[in-house]
Amino acid sequence: MTQRTHHLALMVAAAIALAACGKKEAPPPPAPAPAPVVAPAAPPAPAGVTLTSVTLGKAVGADKKVSAATETFAKGDTIHASIDTTGAGSATVVAKWTYSKDGKTAPVKEESATITPTGPATTEFHISKPDGWPTGDYQVEILVNGSSAATKSFKVQ
Amino acid sequence: MSDMPDFSNVQSGSSSTADKIYEVKSGDSLSKIAKHEYGDANKWQQIFEANQDILKDPNKIFPGQKLKIPPLA
Repeated sequence: MTQRTHHLALMVAAAIALAACGKKEAPPPPAPAPAPVVAPAAPPAPAGVTLTSVTLGKAVGADKKVSAATETFAKGDTIHASIDTTGAGSATVVAKWTYSKDGKTAPVKEESATITPTGPATTEFHISKPDGWPTGDYQVEILVNGSSAATKSFKVQ
Repeated sequence: MSDMPDFSNVQSGSSSTADKIYEVKSGDSLSKIAKHEYGDANKWQQIFEANQDILKDPNKIFPGQKLKIPPLA
């Protein structure tokens, strides 16, 4: 074999090697790790006490719930509003009793209670009038920590 | 509003299955508070017992003190 032939053989071998290298594609760079998905922090559970229901009646039991719900009362009745709440903490619950006649409204009584429940609780407010209730339309508005939470209308016949 | 009824003699109250907080007013006594909260002045001891951490003498309460009013046992 001449030196020229030897060179040619080397060049062919190099070309084959290069071709072989060309076939192998460089492995793709590893995909960047997805950014850790940070779940948004869950909003804090609503703190404090919230009203769930208001029921009116003529009497309450030891559990402070009315024994027979009604929205119609007689002149000599004591009127109870039983308020169910959930949540814990300290809350000021206010019952605003009003009377309505001919489109006018007059305050009857306002009673406030600061409660410190540790869970579901029932609070009752009551009003009475020694000489009897005037017949007509009444309303009680319940406020929890200064915000109106519910209103209930009732009649005295 | 002269045509509206007079509600000045309306009596009111409240009670709860949760503890209530009562702020002592001038002239209050435990029996007066018990009468207002429970309708029975003789229940004053229940209030005293619930507030032993701040009350040492049932005859010494002061305006502004916040007393725990437990539900009637």
